[in-house]
Amino acid sequence: MNKMIRYLLIGLIFGFTLSRVGASDFDLLHLMFRGVNLKIAWVIVTAIVTSFIGMRVLAMAGNRTYDGEKVKVSKKKLSWRNNVIGGVLFGIGWGMTGACPGTVLAQVGEGKLLGIISMSGMLLGTYVYAWLVERNEWMEG
Amino acid sequence: MADLYRLVFVDSWAWWVGGVIIGALVPLMYYFTNTALGVSTGYGSIVKKIVPGSKLRWLNTKAVTTRPDWRLYFIVGMIGGAFVSARLSGMPWVTQSMGIFTSSVNWGFATLAFWFLCGGFLLGIGARIAGGCTSGHSIHGLSNLHMSSVVATAFFLFCGYLSTRFITLVFFK
Repeated sequence: MNKMIRYLLIGLIFGFTLSRVGASDFDLLHLMFRGVNLKIAWVIVTAIVTSFIGMRVLAMAGNRTYDGEKVKVSKKKLSWRNNVIGGVLFGIGWGMTGACPGTVLAQVGEGKLLGIISMSGMLLGTYVYAWLVERNEWMEG
Repeated sequence: MADLYRLVFVDSWAWWVGGVIIGALVPLMYYFTNTALGVSTGYGSIVKKIVPGSKLRWLNTKAVTTRPDWRLYFIVGMIGGAFVSARLSGMPWVTQSMGIFTSSVNWGFATLAFWFLCGGFLLGIGARIAGGCTSGHSIHGLSNLHMSSVVATAFFLFCGYLSTRFITLVFFK
């Protein structure tokens, strides 16, 4: 199967699941941060545990992909400056929009107009990043 | 049959159902595509489509110049998946509402749009500086025990908490 079709299908499952479990719902995210309803926190924790187990299973099965390549886990180097400053900006945006880059896409698919605005803001932020990183090399992690 | 349809396509899924599927996507994506799960760099791919001639160095790095660009397929898939979910569950096609936020503040659409544009701006620039977002850092990175993801996720959550608290105190009566 064409590899791009695989990416499309994985994206479809991801977007469908985010929407079905309510991760793209402003209220659930807001209530998680207020400590009133922890559903989304449990979704994230379950996802981390499942992924951890799945990656171990994949390793035990020989760390080979469907196409027979060796699995290459991508890893980002720790940079306190980047992870803290980026983390702070991202966290404020997370609370403001009630969404993260993945759930913004789910909101767009669900027809939420303000989700489309958040997505436009993200594109603008990414462009300004490309412009800033030209003069501030530390920004590239 | 009607009950099963309701359970899968209308009612909100239990936390563990969503968590298990989303988590399983990380090893599955490695197995089928040998790629780390991540969304935010894909916004760079879209920016590249909008300004293909830009000379900015970051917009000409490998992340956004891979051809064919899988991130665009992935993004189209995500939007499409949520679209299918919304149609099957009977959500309105288009809505200006954003839950308790739009019902608690008394703002016109222009003010709301400005707020969400600024929030999105911070998400976009923050994810790039931190090197990832909730999927790349908090799910992919944490489950692979990467330290940079631990630090980034701690600040995502802490500042998400602070800004939610601020919004609740100042705007929600």
